[in-house]
Amino acid sequence: MVNPTQTAPQAATQPRPEQPAQQPKAAAAPGLTYQPNVDVCDAGAEVMLVTDMPGASAESMNVCFEDGVLSVHAKVPQRSLPGRQLGQEYGIGDYRRSFRLGEGFDASQISAEYRKGVLTIHVPRLAAVRPRKIEVRPA
Amino acid sequence: MPMYRPQSGAGFAYPLDELRDELDRLWTSLTAAPPLHGWGVRPGSDVFPAVNVSESDDCITIEAELPGLDANDVDIAVSGEELVLKGARPEPHQATEPATAGTGAPDGQGTSGQGNGERHKAVTWHRRERGTGSFERRIKLPVAVDASRVEAKLVDGVLTITCPKAAERQPHKVKVRAG
Repeated sequence: MVNPTQTAPQAATQPRPEQPAQQPKAAAAPGLTYQPNVDVCDAGAEVMLVTDMPGASAESMNVCFEDGVLSVHAKVPQRSLPGRQLGQEYGIGDYRRSFRLGEGFDASQISAEYRKGVLTIHVPRLAAVRPRKIEVRPA
Repeated sequence: MPMYRPQSGAGFAYPLDELRDELDRLWTSLTAAPPLHGWGVRPGSDVFPAVNVSESDDCITIEAELPGLDANDVDIAVSGEELVLKGARPEPHQATEPATAGTGAPDGQGTSGQGNGERHKAVTWHRRERGTGSFERRIKLPVAVDASRVEAKLVDGVLTITCPKAAERQPHKVKVRAG
């Protein structure tokens, strides 16, 4: 789970060019990786993955889809409180989680937004497999 | 390891009790000892929100992760040596609108109950790991703080509360004169 070098192969499939710019920050941070909590919400036309990732930023997100697997990796800069630690109930580190998607999703239309520490990924279904209501006509 | 020590009032199972207590202590130290580096486990995950606390010469700093909350959703009250952190995390279908619903009103704070019910029917939850609802956490501070100067900020789901120590509790540096 803790393996900072795993980000290298993902960077090749990342369409955004920001990833290389994050490398110095990653090198400075200890290699802690956490699995974020997620809600998976099916709205019919799309499936939403709502993921808690406090402390990250949109620029540090790496969301990629490859071989049917949607993977999310967020680099979180280390932050420390001033003075001596009296209690530490949670750790600070990167987030990583992956999801295997079934058939019928339009990978080219996947979108993601990061707001208030929550990453929301919208995975739309292909139009052909979207649920649709069939009207029954009276004979 | 515990030794068998017959004592007045000690029952037959006394060594087993002591062994059990020893195992309990070991288990507690294993599960509660922060941080569990690299395990991907968040210690103290049964309380919400988990907090990190530090103390410097002039202030106590408390940090909590509250993803999905606005500053208006958090209520902080400080009295003497206790800080009360209250708030509520909205249901995901209130906070996050489906893309098909357009980009307007992303907060969804003022939506009517009926509207929420209709949207709730429209979606199916395949997995729900994120908790929702109201929370309250009382945090005992090591020293009294100046409640009037407490400051808090919420950035990217991370709440940082800075509590300056009360003036009488701040260290007073004594200058040593050369004599």
